[in-house]
Amino acid sequence: MTDAELVQQILNGNSNAFRFLVAKHQRLVLHVVGRIVQRQEDIEDICQEVFMKVYSKIGKFRGEAKLSTWIARIAYNTSISHLRKEDRDELSYDERPALVAGETDESTHRQPMETDEVKKYLMLKIEELPVQYRTVLTLFHLEEFSYREIEEITGMPEGTIKSYLSRARKILKEKLEKVAKIEKTNIFTEYA
Amino acid sequence: MLNEEKYTDADKWLVDALKSEPNFILSENFADRMAEKMSRKFAWSQYLREFAIYAGVILGVVAVLAAVHIFLAGADWKSWAKFVTENLVIVIATASLLFFVLFTDRVLLRYFLHRSKIDSI
Repeated sequence: MTDAELVQQILNGNSNAFRFLVAKHQRLVLHVVGRIVQRQEDIEDICQEVFMKVYSKIGKFRGEAKLSTWIARIAYNTSISHLRKEDRDELSYDERPALVAGETDESTHRQPMETDEVKKYLMLKIEELPVQYRTVLTLFHLEEFSYREIEEITGMPEGTIKSYLSRARKILKEKLEKVAKIEKTNIFTEYA
Repeated sequence: MLNEEKYTDADKWLVDALKSEPNFILSENFADRMAEKMSRKFAWSQYLREFAIYAGVILGVVAVLAAVHIFLAGADWKSWAKFVTENLVIVIATASLLFFVLFTDRVLLRYFLHRSKIDSI
């Protein structure tokens, strides 16, 4: 079933078609909402809000973009509005977060790390990145959207997206290297 | 050489972490619940649209009858207007009651029946 056919079925009131759409895109919406909002207790409500907005606005979907891109844009805008409502200061973040600027990373492990722990550590560090960095990382690496699609979703210019991606990866890499130095063991060799 | 190897491995770690699913979860029946919500919303808007059509048709028929009565049959519209203004409360109450009955029949009852049908599935 193409996107256009699916949209038409939903407009005709076919709840099974909508169930199919939700099942197909809930992972994407969960990742976008989750990475921006980060509070498990809020995530399900916001995901519901996203899909109800999708349903309300689906008549306006013209098929110019992919349905997934359109849904991701709604998820992004809804999550950002939620952050604004909560008045979290994340949106006015520093371009160079404190940890990058050379402050001590308190969460750095002092005990030798296992292979899985390194991955968990990195995942934790992703969650600590500024919201825009987390968003572009998620859309690019996890959801495999192109720069152009990320531009459509977030409204950020392509140059900014590339810059955020590169800086976010640099931050994470620096943290990884810092861990390796502190532990004085070559954790990287365990990967192979 | 060692440095190069180290950086390559760091990249692998990074890509691995970036491609890993974050630890956020939705309830198992999330899609089913959304489909139910959508079905209820669709039914409500459908019934409301039908009610608006019914109301429009009834008002249209009344307007046409009044026009025929006044313009073609030559009835005195002033006496009609006088009757309405003198019995304004009764006219408004009767019209409101009729529309409420129509609304209940066309929207509320059908909506609650639809809801109970969905809930029983």
